[in-house]
Amino acid sequence: MTAIAPRREDDALQLKPRRDPFLIILWIILVTFALVWIAPVVLIAFTALKSNAEVMATSAFTPPQEIAWNNFSGAWARGNFETTFKNSVIITVIKVPLGLMFSAMAAYALARIRLRFGKLLLLFFLFGAMIPFQVMLAPIFTLLNGFGLIDTYPGVILPYLAFGVPYQVFILHGFFKAVPKELSEAALIDGASHVTVFRRIFLPISLPVLAALLILDFVSTWNEFAMALVLLQDRHMWTLPLGLMSFQGQFSTDYGQLNAAIAMTVFPAVLVYMIFQRYFVSGLTSGAVKG
Amino acid sequence: MATVQVSDLRKSFGALEVVKGVSIDIRDGEFLILVGPSGCGKSTLLRMIAGLEDISAGRIDIGGRVVNTLSPKERNIAMVFQNYALYPQMTVAQNMGFSLEIAGMKKAEIDKKVAEASEILGLNPLLKRKPSQLSGGQRQRVAMGRAIVRDPDVFLFDEPLSNLDAKLRVQMRAEIKALHQRLGSTIVYVTHDQVEAMTMADRIVVLRGGCVEQIGTPLELYDHPENMFVAGFLGSPSMNFLRGKIEGQSLLLAGGERLALPSLPMAEHGGDVVVGVRPQGFSVGTQDGARATIKVVEPTGADTHVLADIGGTEITCVVNDRVDFAPGEEVRFSITSKQVHYFDPTNESRIG
Ligand SMILES: Nc1ncnc2c1ncn2[C@@H]1O[C@H](COP(=O)(O)OP(=O)(O)OP(=O)(O)O)[C@@H](O)[C@H]1O
Ligand SMILES: [Mg+2]
Repeated sequence: MTAIAPRREDDALQLKPRRDPFLIILWIILVTFALVWIAPVVLIAFTALKSNAEVMATSAFTPPQEIAWNNFSGAWARGNFETTFKNSVIITVIKVPLGLMFSAMAAYALARIRLRFGKLLLLFFLFGAMIPFQVMLAPIFTLLNGFGLIDTYPGVILPYLAFGVPYQVFILHGFFKAVPKELSEAALIDGASHVTVFRRIFLPISLPVLAALLILDFVSTWNEFAMALVLLQDRHMWTLPLGLMSFQGQFSTDYGQLNAAIAMTVFPAVLVYMIFQRYFVSGLTSGAVKG
Repeated sequence: MATVQVSDLRKSFGALEVVKGVSIDIRDGEFLILVGPSGCGKSTLLRMIAGLEDISAGRIDIGGRVVNTLSPKERNIAMVFQNYALYPQMTVAQNMGFSLEIAGMKKAEIDKKVAEASEILGLNPLLKRKPSQLSGGQRQRVAMGRAIVRDPDVFLFDEPLSNLDAKLRVQMRAEIKALHQRLGSTIVYVTHDQVEAMTMADRIVVLRGGCVEQIGTPLELYDHPENMFVAGFLGSPSMNFLRGKIEGQSLLLAGGERLALPSLPMAEHGGDVVVGVRPQGFSVGTQDGARATIKVVEPTGADTHVLADIGGTEITCVVNDRVDFAPGEEVRFSITSKQVHYFDPTNESRIG
């Protein structure tokens, strides 16, 4: 015993520091979750690339033997994707940047401009983030109907904006509040107006947050289903999720094409993520102030 | 370059008044330093001059123009913040040129001005770097560069050196002073470091609790402090205060010890007085003087600080030679300084 003990200490000195068991457990949990999450993605990708015959013949997780690209063109044509895709693009491309811009400006005003009812206004925004939209669906429908906005782009974009802005304001307000006060004061002394301070100082240093919010908002707008279902009755105004739903109802046995349709729906969100994730660099404010 | 007049300036945060009627006339090209303990309202006063804080009452004139309601940018001032407040996403050159860019100056002209300023401050090799890639001293210099490119009427500094280490602070102190001589501009400088105030200022304003205690040149304040607060605030180590009665040519301390005085107050004073003596104004020996007990001996290398107890009053004295007293040892103190200060113990103001 006594002879072995020192040798083990010796070994311990040679080897890398012992791993924290907590970290190992964390890793195991993460890998498990990743697998659970990846499985359906792989399933969709594989199935989308298989012909119907192959789908029936092989197991779900075997890679496709022969790549059936025509699933995509078939689904595109049969599912009226041209229209739904166009509608989704128009709505998302207008709503996401516009909403983010409104939110950022509101958050800046609440965080940096002394307003008489600033706190109350912020509370009001938070309240907006807390109301589930399902509750509001019927009144919104009535309201939009009254304005004749059902089955129009503004008719979806406006409610999307209204429900997207509060939580973005909430997050951006927290971020802007944490920007050192001296930074905006220095800019004010340098002769900048609030617009300049916002555009030249706050927007650049909050790029990581803005990118994160943009991705989240893009995905949720792109995939939004329930509100669109109520507000868009006309097939020609449908967005992708609605189109996909109807496609599934009509052609649910054509697994290849169905999964190709799903893949096409998801793809833009992945693309946007890839484009904007490079802005996720941390420490953009480092060096601004000491300590 | 401009004069700055602060007249009966007041500032309240809610019910709390933090600046209570301050009046200062700052001359054109003067280097004025505001000192005072933490929380006395120095930053608030400076920020009011800058226009970052509303004025509750009173008036501020810059260059003969009332600026009470003007925004910071209309006052033509530049400010250097304690934590520098550099724009993190911009390079050093962009940081310095930002104000000129906003003012709509041409690119070539901005480059020229930035080059001039960076030449003065030795920032040339750093112009392409971001603030996060600079050391504390370099950031400090960029913050000053950002101020000087604009040719402002008045420079405002809020404890610009307090984040630097001791050596760099001494160096930057000299640089700021040289800069002032070179630019000849009006500077209002806030610090709580009395050494900074003594070495750099043309005039010093001592603040306490939102009120001006005294305004004057460093030596005026050092030699003729108006009250015990100013006397104790300037000079290091700070002045010793001995309380007692004057009897003939000496001071009778509470413990019964006597200290011979070099001079007497102008006005006849029967009751208790407080005598202020700088630590350098004592001699410590074993022969004659008031009996005292050594408490601590601190050699600093150049001289030695001796803390002792004279009849219940603790005093600090600085002696030039290396003394070797042990704590608890009994020694004799006498006053060698020609100048002592007399204060009224009730209102703490100067007598005679
Ligand atoms: N925005 C504010 N709201 C309420 N009180 C404030 C505000 N700003 C400052 N004060 C108070 O005003 C007083 C003076 O503050 P100020 O910052 O001017 O002190 P200072 O002399 O600069 O001190 P320091 O040397 O610590 O920087 C302090 O008591 C402070 O608590
Ligand atoms: Mg301060």
